[in-house]
Amino acid sequence: MIALVRAELLKLRSTRTALGLFIAILVATLVPLTLIIALVPRSWLETDGVTGFLNAASALVPLVLLVFGILGMTNEYRHGTITYSYLVTPRRWQVMVVKLAVYAVVGIVTMLIAVVLVYLVIRVGGAVRGIDIDATGGNTLGDYARTVIVAGLITTFGVALGALFRAQVITVAGTLIWALFVENIIVVLKPRIGMWMPFTVFNNVSAAQVPSSDNAVVAVEQLSRSTAFLVSLVYIALVSLLAVFISLRRDVT
Amino acid sequence: MPAVITADHLTKRFGKKVLAVDDVSFTIADGTITGVLGPNGAGKTTTLRMILDLVRPTAGSVTILGSRYRDLRAPAARVGALLDSAGFHPGRSGRNALRVIATGAGVSDARVDETLEMVELAKDGKRAVKGYSTGMKQRLALAAALLGDPEVLILDEPANGLDPEGMLWLRTFLRAQAAEGKTVLVSSHVLAEVEQTVDDVLIMSKGKLLAQGPISTLTASTQPVVRVRTPQAEKLETALLSAGAGVNRLNDALAVRGPTAAEVGELAHAQGVALHELLTEQPSLEELFLQIAGTRREQ
Repeated sequence: MIALVRAELLKLRSTRTALGLFIAILVATLVPLTLIIALVPRSWLETDGVTGFLNAASALVPLVLLVFGILGMTNEYRHGTITYSYLVTPRRWQVMVVKLAVYAVVGIVTMLIAVVLVYLVIRVGGAVRGIDIDATGGNTLGDYARTVIVAGLITTFGVALGALFRAQVITVAGTLIWALFVENIIVVLKPRIGMWMPFTVFNNVSAAQVPSSDNAVVAVEQLSRSTAFLVSLVYIALVSLLAVFISLRRDVT
Repeated sequence: MPAVITADHLTKRFGKKVLAVDDVSFTIADGTITGVLGPNGAGKTTTLRMILDLVRPTAGSVTILGSRYRDLRAPAARVGALLDSAGFHPGRSGRNALRVIATGAGVSDARVDETLEMVELAKDGKRAVKGYSTGMKQRLALAAALLGDPEVLILDEPANGLDPEGMLWLRTFLRAQAAEGKTVLVSSHVLAEVEQTVDDVLIMSKGKLLAQGPISTLTASTQPVVRVRTPQAEKLETALLSAGAGVNRLNDALAVRGPTAAEVGELAHAQGVALHELLTEQPSLEELFLQIAGTRREQ
């Protein structure tokens, strides 16, 4: 298993996909955050709840990690490298379990880096502009821990989806359309069902969620963070198990 | 010689309509080069993939080195495979592509460099695979198969994309592997490609195994061909067909099955046909395949 882990890490190091991931995360989080802190009026930055909004800069990270996970698995099918993976390790469950685990760790580390960077940019930006901002946005250490863990698990969720569907473009496009549009429509139309949808649940765990406004047009029902965390674990475990099971039975042609 | 690979009533059905491999049984002896021959769609690739546990048989079983592939300990050190479906990430260098496989198999980087030397890709190892020609990718795949210095090599259409020089290199390479005592199973749809290389053949068509054995035994059991060259080819062809012979004509040349060379000569003499050439030939592998496939169709 150690050899498999080392091979999986080498796969990540030996292409530009992982590097691209980090650049995408840096661009998606730090650039808008830095611009907001640097350019918006002081009075706005001093508003209550603004740090929650600023923390939402890291909300895009799990989405990038999800795509990263899908690419990690679908690339194996797209380029035919899965054949070598199974030839070297014919016990396919080992290949799948190691991949899921490695991507979980990569997702956790990446999210941790993103959260720390966001915290530092808010602190430094606040200090430069002479504003005392609570850079945690009111999140506890437990909130951060759950956010980071779920980000890692979302990465494995991507790997599992990739293993289930294999076709790269369809999986990436279908997942993003579901996560960004379909679920939001369900949440608006059928909130009691919507709040149990996977990406809505993952988002509820995030410490970076935008606080709901009192005068919001639609009253959004959502699970508590701890419940959402547990439901997330169930979702990810189920999809991962299904991915392993299907990989065991699937012909590699 | 002990059997290295044993297939027992191997069958693979994809869905309800496609019967890719139909009740195929064979054994591959230790230290031999065996060609799996047949046209596209014969079931060769599916058979090789079933040996390697990449495709699960619908019925029957196959063992390699005494057990199922998935039960082999350190399989890369025992069986090396080059498969059409296996590929490399285009953004990864050739050397790193091999390192990924080697790391998983517990093989050292030194062996990676050694195999790159063997397939004459050492100079190109640091280039991204997307810049490789088809022939270079085939040699890289061959290097991947050799990483664990395996006892058995399973090669699916290894000559695909190789130029004549590459084909010669491949033949020499396969012979060298056999000389080291390795067992090689190599598939091809171009019969001439493997004719000079293999000891035994498995002939497949439409999912069925039509024949198995040493080429010499199979050719001995089939009819020799009498080659005739005459300026009156059409006249002789008509006479031969009337006598019940099988005839293929191309311009002034005839390939005759059935009668001996002496009988053909006498018939020509009786018809007043001048012969410029008359000789008996054992059929080539290609002709052997056509004869066997034709015989089975008639049955």
